[in-house]
Amino acid sequence: MNYKPNESELMAYLYGELEGEARTKVEQYLALHEDERISLENLKSVSNLLGRVKDKEVIAPPIFIGDAKQHYFWDVPYFKTIMSIAASLLLVMMVAYFMGTQINMSGNELKISFGKQPEVIPVVKPEVKPTEASLTATQVQEMINSSLATNNESLQTSFEASQQKLDASIRKSLASNSGNMDQLIREASTASQTQIREYVAGIQTENMKMVKDYFQLTATDQKKYVEALLVDFAKYLEQQRNNDLQLVQTRLNSMEKNTSVFKQETEQILSSIITTVGNPNSTRGNKN
Amino acid sequence: MVDTLLDIAMMHADTLVIRAKQGDQPAQGKLVQLWYKRIYNYAYKFFLDHDLAMEVSQKTFISMCRNLPSLQDNGRFKSWLYTIAVNYCREEARKIKGNRAVSFDKVWNPEAEESPQWESSRQRNENPERQLQQLELADILQEALMELSVEQREVVIMKEYEGLKFREIAEALNISENTVKSRMYYGLDGLKKILDRKNITKDTLGYEL
Repeated sequence: MNYKPNESELMAYLYGELEGEARTKVEQYLALHEDERISLENLKSVSNLLGRVKDKEVIAPPIFIGDAKQHYFWDVPYFKTIMSIAASLLLVMMVAYFMGTQINMSGNELKISFGKQPEVIPVVKPEVKPTEASLTATQVQEMINSSLATNNESLQTSFEASQQKLDASIRKSLASNSGNMDQLIREASTASQTQIREYVAGIQTENMKMVKDYFQLTATDQKKYVEALLVDFAKYLEQQRNNDLQLVQTRLNSMEKNTSVFKQETEQILSSIITTVGNPNSTRGNKN
Repeated sequence: MVDTLLDIAMMHADTLVIRAKQGDQPAQGKLVQLWYKRIYNYAYKFFLDHDLAMEVSQKTFISMCRNLPSLQDNGRFKSWLYTIAVNYCREEARKIKGNRAVSFDKVWNPEAEESPQWESSRQRNENPERQLQQLELADILQEALMELSVEQREVVIMKEYEGLKFREIAEALNISENTVKSRMYYGLDGLKKILDRKNITKDTLGYEL
């Protein structure tokens, strides 16, 4: 058993303030633990010793509380509460009086109003003659029927009149409109045959003119162009011929020069040959 | 502790407290008469000083009369009254601690035979020899009490002399019941050590008496 009472439990046990199971537990523990029991007994002996000190006798001096107020009945809290409620009610009533509050309750209606109630002017109702009241139900029915009949008639007549007026106006407008329309259509149909022909002819002539002009213009342009082309080609050919001629000329000139040089050389050779033939020493020397 | 059974009954009578709460001055006077001795003895054991005990008692009862209407639970009157007394005791203790001037009684070795305290605490209306012995034992025990810390002293006095239950002490000191019991344990333990030191045991006392 691992139970060990703490200081609080021991004190409660010592002063008899521990009861039931806790008390038996402590008792069992103390029975098992001699040293603990002795130490508790020592504490108990200290407690007994303390008990030997007697109280000192003293006479209570009269205590006067100088500022103790006499308690009047209006100092009782209940009275104060009731009075405060009454005072607040009175205040509410005073305010209500000055504001002219009126609370009316009639039937299921609760009405709270402030200020003066506006005077209700009684509405003067036209007095209904009591003689009218003697009509029977059939009479009333008849009256209603007759008034309905008159009403229907008047409606019928007005409806018919308006219908006729409408018809007339529609016819009138139709007649005028159809005349105009026919005239327009006829004009259009008569005018269209000749006009179309004229128009087509005009278009044809215009087209012809245009094509002619176009061809003429193109022909002249082409002519000019071809002419220019031919001139240019001729010029080119001429230039080419001139160039060729110049080339031939220069070639010829160079050939001429060559032939002349050759001629001179041959002449020289011939002369040298001739001289050598005539004077063999000199030719040898020349040859060397 | 209390003189008659009637007084015991009166002390715990809620009716008296209720009447006193409503401002009934005779009821308040009766309450003072009934509880004055208890509060005085508590304060006396706390200070070991008659004048301080009287001062604390008077302050406590003046405060009681003024604040009774604010007492919520009449059943807690006892612990409430001790709370007031404890607070005044602590206040006076603080004053003494803060005061540099120390009374002659405190300076004088109280164990000396010619102690002025010994003389001042003399009572005259009993058998002088027995009275002397009681007085000596009382003085020794009181001195031992004074050596305890304030917290332990409060609990020990309330339990041993005022007979309050641990719950009531806890209420009066506004601490937990376990703390009260713990303080009581260490208070008794401390007292035992002090008495051992002074060589006072049950046997020696028995012999002396």
